[in-house]
Amino acid sequence: MVTQVNAMKVTCLQENLARGLGIVGRAVALRSTLPITSNVLIATEHGRIKLAATNLDIALSCWIGGQIEDEGAITVPARLIADFVNSLPQEKIDLTLSPRSKQLKLVCARNEATIGGMDADDFPPIPAVEGDTYELDAKILREAITQVVFSAATDDSRPVLTGVDLVVEGDVLTLAAADGFRLAVRTLKLKKKAAEKQEVIVPAKALSELNRLLQDQEDPVAMTFNANKTQVMFRLKDIELVAQLIQGTFPDYSRLIPKEWGSRAVVEVRDFLQETKIASIFARDGSGIVRITFEGGEGAAPGQMTVSARAEEIGDNEGKLDAQVEGEASKIAFNGRYLQDVLAVLDGGRVALETTGPSQPGVIKPLDNEDYVHVVMPMFVQW
Amino acid sequence: MPTIIHADLDAFYASVEQLDDPRLRGKPVVVGGSADGRGVVAAASYEARAFGVRSAMPMARALRLCLHAVRVSPRFARYGECSASVFRLFRALTPLVEPLSLDEAFLDVTGWVEDGASPRQIAADLKDEVRAQTGLTLSCGVATSKSVAKIASDLEKPDGLVVVAQGAERTFLAPMPVRALWGVGPKTDEGLAQAGIRTIGDLASCADGQALRLLGTHGVGIRDMARGIDQRPVVPERERKSVGAETTFAHDLVDGPELRAILRQSAETVARRLEHAGARASTVAIKVRYADFTTVTRQTTLAAPSSSANTIATASTELLDQLALDGAQLRLFGIQCSKLVDTAGSQGVLWEGDLRD
Repeated sequence: MVTQVNAMKVTCLQENLARGLGIVGRAVALRSTLPITSNVLIATEHGRIKLAATNLDIALSCWIGGQIEDEGAITVPARLIADFVNSLPQEKIDLTLSPRSKQLKLVCARNEATIGGMDADDFPPIPAVEGDTYELDAKILREAITQVVFSAATDDSRPVLTGVDLVVEGDVLTLAAADGFRLAVRTLKLKKKAAEKQEVIVPAKALSELNRLLQDQEDPVAMTFNANKTQVMFRLKDIELVAQLIQGTFPDYSRLIPKEWGSRAVVEVRDFLQETKIASIFARDGSGIVRITFEGGEGAAPGQMTVSARAEEIGDNEGKLDAQVEGEASKIAFNGRYLQDVLAVLDGGRVALETTGPSQPGVIKPLDNEDYVHVVMPMFVQW
Repeated sequence: MPTIIHADLDAFYASVEQLDDPRLRGKPVVVGGSADGRGVVAAASYEARAFGVRSAMPMARALRLCLHAVRVSPRFARYGECSASVFRLFRALTPLVEPLSLDEAFLDVTGWVEDGASPRQIAADLKDEVRAQTGLTLSCGVATSKSVAKIASDLEKPDGLVVVAQGAERTFLAPMPVRALWGVGPKTDEGLAQAGIRTIGDLASCADGQALRLLGTHGVGIRDMARGIDQRPVVPERERKSVGAETTFAHDLVDGPELRAILRQSAETVARRLEHAGARASTVAIKVRYADFTTVTRQTTLAAPSSSANTIATASTELLDQLALDGAQLRLFGIQCSKLVDTAGSQGVLWEGDLRD
């Protein structure tokens, strides 16, 4: 049998190829024992040019427009072709593959380059994910991911915690992430009611990549889990992201969310974040401790929240902000980083901090909607 | 290339004593426990060193060498204060300060040099500043690496300033005895001498294989240091690793009420030091030295980190009981607490385990 030799020949615009390579480039393996995973796949598919890359944890595919003269496929070093194409002027690029030598020739304006490739057949197959599909609003999904993904664990001593727990039930999708010190939970509406309850754990890294792609996305996003729940695919306009799911059971976090509080302060998110940032400058030297005290005002006077930090033998800072305080006066200390992380993902407005004691978890939730809650464990300090 | 200063206060404890008591200035001062109590020299002023008095020498011997020396009992709290003022000046120069002890630190001043300052001038200014603000003298070694800087600071003590220019490291080190290198102790020194290696230059010319054979697993690293190659960065704020207290007895002791009282006292001292350091310890170790100088240590892990004298004393008592001393003569007992956790602020844990029933 004679292997069919395809001399791929396509033409596209520099800006489209550069954008596509930029998109899939994030999935290129940086250090891998499988050399072909540092390549990008370039292939013709249904009248368009398909670009794809995978590091075996995630795979990104992207389709760009172009003129197809001859069908074919090849893989070439991703970094090299991306750097080259990025340096070219915004003109037409002709790509021609010499199939026997596996050389890809690129011609654009004054430049003519040849890049040695590897067989497309040797490229790790990117799984076709088929199964239950849910449609989501791109903007809301992006906001939801932003609000939870930072709470996922970065060390992989407990692998499930490096993921975000996704639960589909009825017409609600719940995203949750927790690293043992804090927990973030966000719910959002699905466009259509789900037939049955589903739960998967998606690597936080994959969701961070997805978020990057959602930035300039307006069309709805389709999310598909395969039947045995080993993979998830997010389909955007002209882009697909496939990720391996994390196997295991996510902790039953519902019991970590305090049902009651003893003290509650409502403040402006922007002011609270600003004061936390300032305090953190002083907290750098002392394990990042930012102290918060708040109490109600006398009579009709508004209450006050104090955000402070001190650096041993160097200096200290105290910031005061108006607060609407209910319940007893309260004091609690947090890692300034954790506090900044959560306040930074709240989109302005007002936020409530609820506490039940200096060694009990604090709860942070935006005042204007019920769909987000963050639970953060304080630091134990001497007051 | 980095620029690193090794800053070392001269005869620190003795200098503080001379600073606080003008009558001691210009006199041989020896800081340490009393001679009849088997005390050792913690520090000696340069006037006393002229008579051959050295740190860690038994006090009795020091006072024989220098008959008119003035012995002063150490005041560690005061040394701590002085050290803090000096370190404040270090940190005003650069945040990259790696303390080695109360009187010694590495400072990374690469940024200043890149901005055009002269390494010699930076060190000279630092010495002036320390003298003006605290009255103490500082010796500085300036080089491109920690190990060369450390050797350089020792060369012109007291009040020394030695700058080793980039590229001159190897020639600078070559004539020095191998003992001057970090990581070469008396035992290694002996082994090297047997192989005919006496100077750092000799060691520098060793091949990898020979270095490994002579110096063990870290051989190549030590050999590279001999060549002036040392890329270890200045690590600011080294965390305190352990807190301890030990007592050398005035006369040998057998296990009995006196030893148990010393144990209790040591536990209280350690607890106080832990509290001072704002830390709790996870492990407790005891150290016992027999009359023949053999030393044994035993350690145990506490159920939870603690800084309580009672907990430390209980753990130490159990360890001591396990030793079965059987009337053995002892000359030293000590308690050391390690695996410290900060009490100043420890991050609370939201949950542990897998949260299932």
